[in-house]
Amino acid sequence: MTQHQNHNDPSVDHGADTAVALGKGLDVGTANLAAAVQNDEGGITVNVERNAFLDIPSDVYSKNMLTKLKVPYVVHNNKLVVIGEAAFELANVFGRETRRPMADGLISPNEQDALPMMKMIIGKILGEPRVQGEHCYFCVPAPSLDVDNNVVYHQGLFEGMINKMGYTAHAINEAHAVIFAELAESDFTGIGLSFGGGMANACIAYKSIPCLSFSVARGGDWIDKNVANVLGCPRSKATHIKERGIDIRDPKSREEEAVSIYYRSLINYVLQNIKTRFESGKNMPSFNNPIDIACAGGTSMIGGFIEVFRDEFAKIDFPLPVGRIFRSEEALTAVAKGCLVAAAIGES
Amino acid sequence: MESVNEIKEALSARSRTATLDELRSEGRRRVRLVRAEHIAAMISEAVHTAIEQSGLIGQDEVDRLVDKSRQEFRSILKEREAEVQRAHEIEETLAERETELAALKSRCAELTAALASKQQAPAATGAAAPSGDLVMSLMQEMANMKASLMQRDAQPAPAAGAADFSAAIEKLAGSLNDRLETIGKKMGVSAAVESNTPMDFSSLFADDGKSLESNMENIEVKQKSAGGIAGNLARLKKLKGGS
Repeated sequence: MTQHQNHNDPSVDHGADTAVALGKGLDVGTANLAAAVQNDEGGITVNVERNAFLDIPSDVYSKNMLTKLKVPYVVHNNKLVVIGEAAFELANVFGRETRRPMADGLISPNEQDALPMMKMIIGKILGEPRVQGEHCYFCVPAPSLDVDNNVVYHQGLFEGMINKMGYTAHAINEAHAVIFAELAESDFTGIGLSFGGGMANACIAYKSIPCLSFSVARGGDWIDKNVANVLGCPRSKATHIKERGIDIRDPKSREEEAVSIYYRSLINYVLQNIKTRFESGKNMPSFNNPIDIACAGGTSMIGGFIEVFRDEFAKIDFPLPVGRIFRSEEALTAVAKGCLVAAAIGES
Repeated sequence: MESVNEIKEALSARSRTATLDELRSEGRRRVRLVRAEHIAAMISEAVHTAIEQSGLIGQDEVDRLVDKSRQEFRSILKEREAEVQRAHEIEETLAERETELAALKSRCAELTAALASKQQAPAATGAAAPSGDLVMSLMQEMANMKASLMQRDAQPAPAAGAADFSAAIEKLAGSLNDRLETIGKKMGVSAAVESNTPMDFSSLFADDGKSLESNMENIEVKQKSAGGIAGNLARLKKLKGGS
């Protein structure tokens, strides 16, 4: 499509030199926030920031130093609040815990004053809407099987926040977004799994229509908490161990062994719950052909994840015929990408 | 007293009973009466006189025996009177207890009957097991009834009798309504209606971030490039029947 041809098409940004389709996708994750937008090269650009902050005493020297180091901060309640990845790194240096606006996939009731900081991060990665009311699809978790959580409040809160920024906000299930991003070849039929920081989300869809969605409140944070407990270290340290590039099939130290054990336990827990839920599902579709399982999410990025997943899957008697089991090549950004697909379809 | 009784028995054994008519038929118009106590006193006097005249026991000894007997008699008499009094008191206490027992039995019967009726009420509810639709239809019916009553109330100056009747109906409707609400809640059927208006939380961010000092403007966020979504969109559009 040319710019001329799309002169009256609201799905195209006419202000840019090159026509770029409108619509943005936002992954509101417990550990990371990611915003996806189509670029003018036919690909997508994803802005990622860690969903964490750390407060330090406020003084002029610290402010100048943070600015020189290009560390984002906000002054809040007479404290310097370092935001995002830098907060995580500083916490590791000082042996402190980062503050987390979200827990178990939802906005944390213990961090109510973190909302302004979170709004700033989202505003930064999402940018201004290119047209007023541009569609922004953001992910929300499905209700959990193992905890009583308030998804309605979480969803309403982010709808309000994004609408306030000038977008038209729409919520989409997190695992459904994985299906939009990863199961195009299967006509969007199969199982999408999102292994996030706070929870694991599952969705089974038939030709892009979600049939069943749910979540379990265990994710990367659960691994971090348990590893930190057994090793006697802060959680941010456990996160660092987990993310420094280890292979859970071949742990090289006691620390890596702990991470490996809890990863295997998490995968087994998620699979058992998926199996049980699918077996008890009343509205489960029947599939003539084997369906694919796509895994995504930051927690699935660790080395050996998909191999261990397949090992654990082989141990259970899964109630559906399954074909491929694979991990997204862009596991961290797959949910944002899926949200972007939904937004682009919404715009069109 | 013992001697008097013995004398009475002796007189009874050695005498005959005759009615006044029989005496009259025998030609007797008047009879002399003598009490058994007087006969006992006369016998006692005669015995004393005989003993005194026999010279076997001295007068002093006789007086002492008489006093002693009299004292014993009074002591025994007091004991008997006390026993009679105690017996009387026990009878009164027994009568009171019997009265209390009767009252308690009556109360027990009332409570048993009340308990039985209360046990029957939920059992009847459970046995009836009205469906959610039934409860909802009953609630609707009650709402209609209330609406009609409200309309009737809105009409000018009803007669006194009609007002009483209306109040009674209103009370009955309220009672039934409460009952249905209770049953509905027990069955998980709520009369509440979900609002169609979505919750808007945008007011929570009315002033957030406006006045915060920050260097975010000068910071670049980490960017990642990923594969395009043209293929995904094409597939989705095809599924939707688009071009």
